[in-house]
Amino acid sequence: MTMIEVAEVLKAEVLVKGEGFHKAVCHVVASDLMSDVLLVDEDDMLLLTSLASDQVLRTAQIVGAVGVVVVNGKPLPSSMVNVANDLNMTLATSRFSKYDACVAIHAALNPR
Amino acid sequence: MSETIQPPAACVTKSDAYPGTGDEPLVLLELIQRLKVRDVMTSKLATVPRTATMRQVQELMRQMKISGVPVEENGRFFGLVSVDDIIRALGGGYIGDPCSRHMTTKLVVLEDDMPLSFALRYFDRYHYGRFPVLNRDRRLVGILCQRDINRALLVELTRELNRLEGTSAQNAALTGAVSIYVLREFPICKYDFENAGKAANQIKQVLQEKKFPPKVIRRIAVAAYELEINLCVHSDGGVLSWQVSNGRAEIVARDAGPGIEDVEWACRDGTSTANEWIRSLGFGAGMGLANVKRVSDEFEITSKKGSGTTVKSVINIGNMP
Repeated sequence: MTMIEVAEVLKAEVLVKGEGFHKAVCHVVASDLMSDVLLVDEDDMLLLTSLASDQVLRTAQIVGAVGVVVVNGKPLPSSMVNVANDLNMTLATSRFSKYDACVAIHAALNPR
Repeated sequence: MSETIQPPAACVTKSDAYPGTGDEPLVLLELIQRLKVRDVMTSKLATVPRTATMRQVQELMRQMKISGVPVEENGRFFGLVSVDDIIRALGGGYIGDPCSRHMTTKLVVLEDDMPLSFALRYFDRYHYGRFPVLNRDRRLVGILCQRDINRALLVELTRELNRLEGTSAQNAALTGAVSIYVLREFPICKYDFENAGKAANQIKQVLQEKKFPPKVIRRIAVAAYELEINLCVHSDGGVLSWQVSNGRAEIVARDAGPGIEDVEWACRDGTSTANEWIRSLGFGAGMGLANVKRVSDEFEITSKKGSGTTVKSVINIGNMP
């Protein structure tokens, strides 16, 4: 599943198409605590968060995430798009709640 | 002429930080964030009392070769007489009047503990030639003009260059000259969330450019990021330094306060003194130091309540690329 498909599943608006946009998402982390995100030792992860701040993108860059989806339709500070562009990090926003986003991605990855 | 002095808000917003043009050398950006207005301003001031005439001010300007004179009595700041004010006084025929009647009092002032980056933004925004500087007690302590900034940056850049050359030579002598790959320092300001994480991001980029193994890069980046955020959240500001040499990466976070009362407690998972605001930004879960310890091969922390804290993380990287 790539970020393109993630965006379709979550009806997300893609604001920045970064380096990981066409990469496969191998792991999904849903958290608003950045230290928890830093604990996850997985490659090519997707970060789902309801935290709308520049630090989310910097944390995602540190752990080598393929992209960030800000859930709950949170309005993003304008700086986030600039930082995402600077870091070449894919950034999208979705109206799904964090829980519903997790369920939707899980369902898409495990079709009946 | 209006009647009030307008100081900036006591807490300057992050948008006031000088954004730079994007072309400045990194060392210059670090300097303008590290230096305070008080480090750069002119503090030996030629001032006049309110009773001084405009002509006396004009004469003082001529003697001192300055273009603005603060009106001040016992540290209390009342206003500023500029060359423009003098020209208007000559044209208007009131050069013999007391300066208190014609000085400029609608002024934007700086505080002495503001970072220089804020002052630069003020020069950009207001296009004034100089800014009076007040301390926390609202007493006049200096004047800042562009020339002060140029002079201070030149001095600091020379000092920084000498220091880097000295450190490089010292390390070369110790290690045989070829093993130092990188040595950098990043000043980190308290609660500067606009920039927090940039140092760790830069460290990661350098390691990627030098083609270190991804797992090693991740460990170094996580340690650097957590330490950088810790400096931003918990200290009064400090320095994050890192170097790669002799098959190991060493990241050191050093601050001058406020210190940790119980270091053992602070290193446990889930323990934190962060407030709700910090937590709302996604930090302060109490995993920072524990995370650094987890990714480090060697971990040291020294701290004392009321003084500074130093945290060192060493990560073995084996044979360097």
